[in-house]
Amino acid sequence: MTTLHTAYSSRLFFLRVLNSLVVLLVFSGMTSGAEDTRSVSFVNDVVPVLTKAGCNMGICHAKAGGGQNGFQLSLLGFEPLEDYESVVKEGHGRRLFPSVPTKSLFLTKASGETPHGGGVKLPRNSEGYRLIRKWIEEGATYSTGKEPTLVSVQVEPKRGLINMGEEQKLKAIAKYSDGSIRDVTKLALYESNISAMAEASEDGVVKVNDIPGKVAVMVRYQGKIAVFTAAVPLGAPVTKVPASKNFIDKYVFANLKELGIPPSSVCDDATFLRRVTLDLCGRFPTEEEAAAFQASTDKNKRDQVVESLLRSPNYADYFASKWVPLLKNRRDATADITSNFAFHAWIRDSLLANVPYDQMVRELLGATGTVVGNPPVAWYKRVKDPKEQLEDIAQLFLGVRMQCAQCHHHPFERWSQDDYYSLSAFFSQIGRKPTGTRGEDLIFHKRGLAQAKNVKSGMMLKPAALGDNVGEISPDEDPRLRLGNWMSSKENPFFAKALVNRYWKHFFKRALIEPEDDIRDTNPPTNPELMAALEKQFISSGFDLKQLVKLITQSHAYQLSSMPNEYNLLDRQNYSRFYPRRLQAEVLLDAIDQLAGSSTAFANLPPGTRAISLPDNSYNNSSAFLKVFGRPNSASVCECERIQSSSLAQSLHLINSGDIKAKLATGAGRAAQFAKSESSTEEKVNELYLAAFSRKPRPEELKTALDYLNEPMLDAKGQPIAKKKPTKKDYQDLIWALMNTKEFLFNH
Amino acid sequence: MIRQYRQPLTLIAGYCLIASLLTTTAFAQLVCLPAPRLLTTKPMGGQVGTSFDVKITGQNLDKSDKLSFSHPGISAKQKLGKDGQPVPYTYEVTIAKDCPKGIHEARVLTRLGVSSTRVFNVGELPEAIQSKANTSLETAMKLDLNSICNAVMTRQKIDFYTFEANKGQRIIVDCAAKGIDSKLNPVVIIADEKGMDLQVERRGGMLDFEVPETGKYVIKLHGLTYDGGPYHFYRLAIRDVAKGEVVSRQPAIQAVNAFSWPPVGLTGKTIRPESEPNNQHAQAQKITLPCDITGSFYPAADVDTFEFTAKKGEVWWVEVASERLGRPTDPSIVVQYVSGEASKETLTDVVELSDIATPIKVSSNGYSYDGPPYNAGSSDIIGKVEIKQDGVHRLQLRDLFGGTRNDPKNIYRLIIRKAEPDFALVGWALHMNLRNGDRSAYSKPIALRAGATMPIEVVVVRRDGFTGEIDLFMDNLPEGVSAAGLRIPKGKTRGIMLISSEANAPRGLTSAAFFGRATINGKLVTRPCRMASMQWPIRDASGEVPSPRLLVDVPVSVSNSELAPITIAPAEKKVWEVTAGEKLTIPLVHARRSEFSGANITLKTYGDGFERVPAFDAPLTKDSSQAVLDLAVLKTAPGDYQISFYGYAVVKYRENLEAVASAKTALMQAQQEAEALTAEAKKLADVAKTAPDAQRVNANTAAKEAAKKAKSAEAIVATSDKQLKSATARSKPKDIVDIIVSTPITIRVNPAKKAK
Repeated sequence: MTTLHTAYSSRLFFLRVLNSLVVLLVFSGMTSGAEDTRSVSFVNDVVPVLTKAGCNMGICHAKAGGGQNGFQLSLLGFEPLEDYESVVKEGHGRRLFPSVPTKSLFLTKASGETPHGGGVKLPRNSEGYRLIRKWIEEGATYSTGKEPTLVSVQVEPKRGLINMGEEQKLKAIAKYSDGSIRDVTKLALYESNISAMAEASEDGVVKVNDIPGKVAVMVRYQGKIAVFTAAVPLGAPVTKVPASKNFIDKYVFANLKELGIPPSSVCDDATFLRRVTLDLCGRFPTEEEAAAFQASTDKNKRDQVVESLLRSPNYADYFASKWVPLLKNRRDATADITSNFAFHAWIRDSLLANVPYDQMVRELLGATGTVVGNPPVAWYKRVKDPKEQLEDIAQLFLGVRMQCAQCHHHPFERWSQDDYYSLSAFFSQIGRKPTGTRGEDLIFHKRGLAQAKNVKSGMMLKPAALGDNVGEISPDEDPRLRLGNWMSSKENPFFAKALVNRYWKHFFKRALIEPEDDIRDTNPPTNPELMAALEKQFISSGFDLKQLVKLITQSHAYQLSSMPNEYNLLDRQNYSRFYPRRLQAEVLLDAIDQLAGSSTAFANLPPGTRAISLPDNSYNNSSAFLKVFGRPNSASVCECERIQSSSLAQSLHLINSGDIKAKLATGAGRAAQFAKSESSTEEKVNELYLAAFSRKPRPEELKTALDYLNEPMLDAKGQPIAKKKPTKKDYQDLIWALMNTKEFLFNH
Repeated sequence: MIRQYRQPLTLIAGYCLIASLLTTTAFAQLVCLPAPRLLTTKPMGGQVGTSFDVKITGQNLDKSDKLSFSHPGISAKQKLGKDGQPVPYTYEVTIAKDCPKGIHEARVLTRLGVSSTRVFNVGELPEAIQSKANTSLETAMKLDLNSICNAVMTRQKIDFYTFEANKGQRIIVDCAAKGIDSKLNPVVIIADEKGMDLQVERRGGMLDFEVPETGKYVIKLHGLTYDGGPYHFYRLAIRDVAKGEVVSRQPAIQAVNAFSWPPVGLTGKTIRPESEPNNQHAQAQKITLPCDITGSFYPAADVDTFEFTAKKGEVWWVEVASERLGRPTDPSIVVQYVSGEASKETLTDVVELSDIATPIKVSSNGYSYDGPPYNAGSSDIIGKVEIKQDGVHRLQLRDLFGGTRNDPKNIYRLIIRKAEPDFALVGWALHMNLRNGDRSAYSKPIALRAGATMPIEVVVVRRDGFTGEIDLFMDNLPEGVSAAGLRIPKGKTRGIMLISSEANAPRGLTSAAFFGRATINGKLVTRPCRMASMQWPIRDASGEVPSPRLLVDVPVSVSNSELAPITIAPAEKKVWEVTAGEKLTIPLVHARRSEFSGANITLKTYGDGFERVPAFDAPLTKDSSQAVLDLAVLKTAPGDYQISFYGYAVVKYRENLEAVASAKTALMQAQQEAEALTAEAKKLADVAKTAPDAQRVNANTAAKEAAKKAKSAEAIVATSDKQLKSATARSKPKDIVDIIVSTPITIRVNPAKKAK
């Protein structure tokens, strides 16, 4: 550390001396006053030009491991001193030719006069070219010695209302330490958070498309960031919205009114029951539940069913299946089985007992002991590297992606490498001892001062939580618990937000902030007021997950029909209707078993175990169904590991796989039972529709089904043979047909 | 060119062939000669003052004629069927009214001696036995409150029980499994009548359930990984208790490391509780030394801070018991010197204490078998505090596993005392790597074949600076059995106890006394040596984590159905005298009773200072060999020593030749009887043919009866023949590798005469 530090200091000293000399030399030729006579600053002028031209992007000269053709720049100019060395000193100064600045390789490459893999970046007549030439002419100093430092960047306007198809010109203003300001509109970079909604040109013109909602444009200038948010109204008349059941409705419908997006009506009972049962318990309602719900005249029956489903262990099973892959409960070896089952069960039982979310996270974060004695220790079995630990914790529980900050300043955020390693310091005192199970350690707090080294600066850093000081941590205190305290404090700006955003997505398909684990100033929520209210409520409830789920599912916003009205088909983010989504792999497999009356056998688990109760990823290997339908492999902390898109393989699997055929034809299945049963064919069709769609068939559906089932069979000569009643195969066909409908495959 | 390549190719092929043969041979070898092992009893315990039938299963339980227990309050006799014949593996067990409640052990005396033991719990609640499958809600077994059900888990199944309770009642559901030797990791769920989960316990704890509504409730029980089978047994206790009552768990076995607790003579006379709040330095609980404190690592991240004054030069010994009390904790202590004013005090570390180191390296979970699979160390504490300055000191006690756990049952006992040097001993049947890749961790009862010597590895946890040598002894051994302890040398942690049986020893079983003796502060001190054993015979410890435990007593048996494959003993039973610095040649006699695979056995040496004797080969095909000890190289000081030679050999083991002989005899007898009856039948048939009309009916009847008897006799012949074939097949030689140890040898090293 000392060596590195010393080397760094020597280098700095050398540069300072060099710069002072150059400044002295240049000073004599400097004129003051007019902009074009101002000395060019490497940091304030040259680097922004390089950034704007894209020279220091990750795919160009900021590429890790040497940049391009030996010319390395720091990402987006976050390390100007290193860039200066690369440009001026590296390669014996070959990139600059002070006596004839225009012959400098630095300029001839950028202008395309010398062949350049990146093409022409700064034409000879461009302002950037002129600026860099002037900088070389002036002696190519790192610092003029008196240039101010950049304090902030602002965008004007900060927010606006832009009609579909219209544009908004943005202005970027840089503020410096000497109080000066500068219009950097041409040098700043612009990036929309939803490119389908709005695009931003290089010179700061935002053009919105035909999708209504909220969109943000990040304005970045030299590591400083500003955000422009725009509301894009649909402008339709919103004359009526459903009654408000809680604050969710208030904010959702207020947003719809603001944007002029009329919401769809509230869905019917059958749709609601099916939707909420799927979303809370990962299963269809049983025929009995569906019939009872339909028959009930209780005004509060929707609220009651939510309460009842939340009490059911199916709720815990289903939400455990959501968390288990994110917590990487992965079977890498046969001996992992105990650990995997225990960890899964801990998550499931905690949800069943409605352990407050902050407590669950704390138990995971500060886990010690053995896996069997304290199952969240299993997380430390799978996630061993402190860097991976901090990255996973930050992304999963704080919605902050810190990965970039390991190597450089985060390009979209304020996180520096110091922030990164300060966060990793919380995990620096984890002690491990081997246990009897190979690959499984017991975890304990190792006494000592928690700290981590910033590998770039060599500085030893004390724990700090995303820049927040958590106070002195004595060597006797497990720093992870202090991190837990910080996370669950009421003032924490990330913890509650990350969870409510994640859960909102579970119920509405789209999170208030997308992706759900990329929460940053430059990616604001589509409904900030709603987000703030949800956060507040979640914190004040004591991080009560069931309470949050109840609020969401009992709102009318959640209960809107998925059928669009004449206006809201385009809406993708304002929740003016329910966005249908394909059933998850496990839910669909269970649903098919439920409809076909079949079952799927899983290794080591009792017969009848549902796919949503599977403890780990190992079952993906033995089930083509789960694999095809995208069950995650517990390798990533991102929910995106679960594949929710559709594919040809999925269609073929449903239509024609041996797996599905066997389920339809099973001797104990519904088709076989129907063929034996004496009840009327119509009753059976009714039962099937209840099982598949939680509703009875419509008259035309019933007629079609009965016509098919009663259709006479043909003999070898094609002559009809009278049959007494539909055969097992007839029922198999009908079940197969229902199974392949969108109404079955989607939660709608 | 082609010729040049031929030879290497041939060689490679040859090597491959040899390698594959070697591999085959290696894996064809079994490890450890058959030992009797009692694996299950059903039920696994009983109520005091009751009698009931107990069925047993196990390995090598031939001729298991006597079931006995570690406490005389439990007795058993062979159950007889209606025909007066013994019902195999079934006994009538009686628990006396005054039998102490708690953990006892059952074992059975077999042809090969005493079996490994199995826990047998005695309690006061009525007992039930799972009599049929109860793996669905519909077939749930009804339980009475305040009863214990003995049951066995089925793989990939869930056992269902129901009970009825009234609103507000406090119900305790406690499943004993790991604590009674079971392989089951139980998950216990209380559910509503429809089977919907209400409360779950997966970490071996008990469920404390307040009944929300009067009615029927369901208990669901399964393995953590839905494992099951005959070795996954459990005792499910359901009790209603008063609110606020402190409820104790069902009794459980002790882990091996519990042997070092409590210190001899510890009483509760001066014990005092910790007083919360004492997490912060400012809240430190004032104590005076010595002290004896009981407390709990509760709530989560609890720190107990104690303050005392001490003077420079004082030495205090600190002992903490928590893990050894059966709690899943890892206590850690920091003692700091406090200086400065209260508002601005400075803390200086004096010592940090954690863990009682394992006396010898424990086998890791890697491929190599690099130590015994027994850990006698603990996450508890025995350590020394040397006071460096006069003044106030603070001791902070934490549980390194306790950051997030809220369990008041995680108790501890903290003792700070002046040095009371002492020791605690534990022993187990010696394990060693018997072939390449061997990771066996078998339970090994002390069941000696006559003529055998069995090594017991003994380790010591030393207290409060005691470093002296410890002699090992055993008493109350069966007739013809003797024990010789190879002492634990000064400052060392390991010794060997050799238990040897005479070749002509009669069959016998005793509960032996096992102890160590040392001189501490000029006084001869005797301490018991606890025995530990694997709960299960584990063939491959890389696939199943061994779970050793302490035994209640030390059963030792000798059997003469089979004799030891070989006895290596000194040619004379005497004290072998040698002058320091000289060579001692000890002629060895090999009493061979089996064939071996391989010509030699490589012998190493046990004994204080003699471990460095170079390994030497002794022939397995000859009746004698010799050991040469070069005391000049060993630099052995004058004195008395006991040593032994050990190694391992592949025995051509023939199982139960006695059974072959008796099957032969039985077959011969059956054949003779059948012949006689057949002849008799023929004779009577002939008589019937020629009998006068008046006698023909009777003669025919007699002939038919005789024919029937002859047919039965033929059936017996067929059965006997089958039994003989089976016994013969079982007696075919099998390669089994096992530890071979010589009988102990006593050596006296006399001082060398000083040169004049």
